[in-house]
Amino acid sequence: MSEAELAHEHHHAHHFASANDEFEACKQGMWVFLVTEVLMIGGLFVAYGIFRGLYPEMFHEAHKMLNWKMGATNTVVLILSSLTMVLGVTATQRGRRTQAMGYLLVTLLLASCFLVVKYFEYTHKIHDGLLPGGFFTNAELKEVPKVSLFFSLYFVMTGIHGLHVIIGMGLIAWILKRTANREFSPHYYTPVEMVGFYWHFVDLVWIYLFPLLYLVG
Amino acid sequence: METKQPKVEKHHHHILSDRMAVGIGISLLILTVITVGMAHVDLGKFNFFFAMLVATVKASLVALFFMNLFYDRKENGVIFGTSFLFLVIFIVLTGTDLFFRGDVAVKGPLFAPTQGKSKLVKPWISTPELVSHGKELFAAQCTSCHGAEGKGNGPAAASLNPPPRNFTSNDGWKNGRKATLVFKTLKEGLQGSSMASYATLPVDDRWALVQYVLSLGPTPPDQDAPEDFAKAGVDAAGGGEAPEAPTISVAAAMKLMAEPQKPIEGVRLYAVAPQEGEAKSAGAAIYAARCSSCHGTEGKGGLIVKNMGVNPKAFVTTRSLTSSLPSLQSTEAFTKVVIEGIPGEAMPASGDLTSSEIQDLYQYVKGLAAQN
Repeated sequence: MSEAELAHEHHHAHHFASANDEFEACKQGMWVFLVTEVLMIGGLFVAYGIFRGLYPEMFHEAHKMLNWKMGATNTVVLILSSLTMVLGVTATQRGRRTQAMGYLLVTLLLASCFLVVKYFEYTHKIHDGLLPGGFFTNAELKEVPKVSLFFSLYFVMTGIHGLHVIIGMGLIAWILKRTANREFSPHYYTPVEMVGFYWHFVDLVWIYLFPLLYLVG
Repeated sequence: METKQPKVEKHHHHILSDRMAVGIGISLLILTVITVGMAHVDLGKFNFFFAMLVATVKASLVALFFMNLFYDRKENGVIFGTSFLFLVIFIVLTGTDLFFRGDVAVKGPLFAPTQGKSKLVKPWISTPELVSHGKELFAAQCTSCHGAEGKGNGPAAASLNPPPRNFTSNDGWKNGRKATLVFKTLKEGLQGSSMASYATLPVDDRWALVQYVLSLGPTPPDQDAPEDFAKAGVDAAGGGEAPEAPTISVAAAMKLMAEPQKPIEGVRLYAVAPQEGEAKSAGAAIYAARCSSCHGTEGKGGLIVKNMGVNPKAFVTTRSLTSSLPSLQSTEAFTKVVIEGIPGEAMPASGDLTSSEIQDLYQYVKGLAAQN
């Protein structure tokens, strides 16, 4: 395993006893952040649960307007992007810089695919008037009581998720640039792994969103 | 260059092998296929749980292997797992609201009339204490319609048809000017008017109001006959109010009493804005502003409007102005209906229109009738 020359050495912050302590602290901090994300998105899942419990037939009717094939495609895309992300992290851990860059780039491309599919889904819904709350104008579902609730939940939940995808892409691009700059090595790859965690979490949320929105019984 | 190599512990710096990574990836894809496939099989309620189960397995694979928790220090797994524990508590506790909602309907309506015995011995007989207590309550509850002196001229009275009772006169008391019957009015309200039921007030407060309101009149009230006690549901021997029958929720009562009916649809909930452009005549302008929202732009009626301020809430279907209604036969009849409205119906009183405006309006409405 040849170590590429680093652009600069990583010196751990002075308040940590060692680089390993810094790494562990950073990782635990990342997990605590993800806990806050679980509870934030959890609030929306509770809202989903309440309204689905109150209006089960409406949810069933409304979800038919979602294209499950596009949803499934996006699920596959995100799973693959998680795979390429983790391969990018392990490549960095092994000091294989160009390989890591390749994986990170593919992750970015898969993330873009996700957004493109989402774009088509959103524009189709806007065109059909399947919009949240007071903006709902779809003729086919007009008779279904409270149907705009489903689309309020759909847009807010997938919207917040999509925002996190965009932020994730920004973070991956940043890591890609730093990898190109030779800032990472087997001795220091913390930011890469942490961005990886963020990305896996985005995938994890979608793993739950997909059946709840697209596969309503 | 660091002089000391960081201790690379297998435990916390585990590098996932390519084989494992790809293997987990493929498992995730297979589980996706399974979840999509099972969604197309009807398992009833079990569909949801199965989908959540598969999703949780997938999420666990991501967390354990892609996010390294399987190989990591235990604290991180505990931290992450705890968040899901709290999420479960969040969902379950909120869900209990949902699962136990039926109980509210079973126990009775939220605003059940207050029940039971009066603390007074014979409250249908006036006492100074009742009258003075009634005066305080009257000021809080009644003056907005009945006016500060009970003359039926409160600030809200102008829009009410029929108008609120003038307590300083002996005339027009719908149920009669007797203590028990005024009590009945307070308990039930008056159908076809804006007088609501005040059954949510305690029994003794209602008797106080009765005595105060009767005290405003020019003469003492009439005597209560035995049948009046029965009509008002007052226990002449026992006290202020006969024990009420057990109440059931409105929803349950409606299920028992209602005949199958088409649900009311297309209720006009708001006034239609006058149409764009110049009205062709003065009459057309008045019609567009004052009449079209209920009677329709062509006067054909048939719109379902809410009869506001009526107890109980009712919907009426508006008349067609193109038909041969008595009020359309002459200017006098038309003027009377427009100025006074129709008591107990949704047709409002428009006493602010001048006679020339009403003339113009009448001509316009006749024109609508001629067109149809």
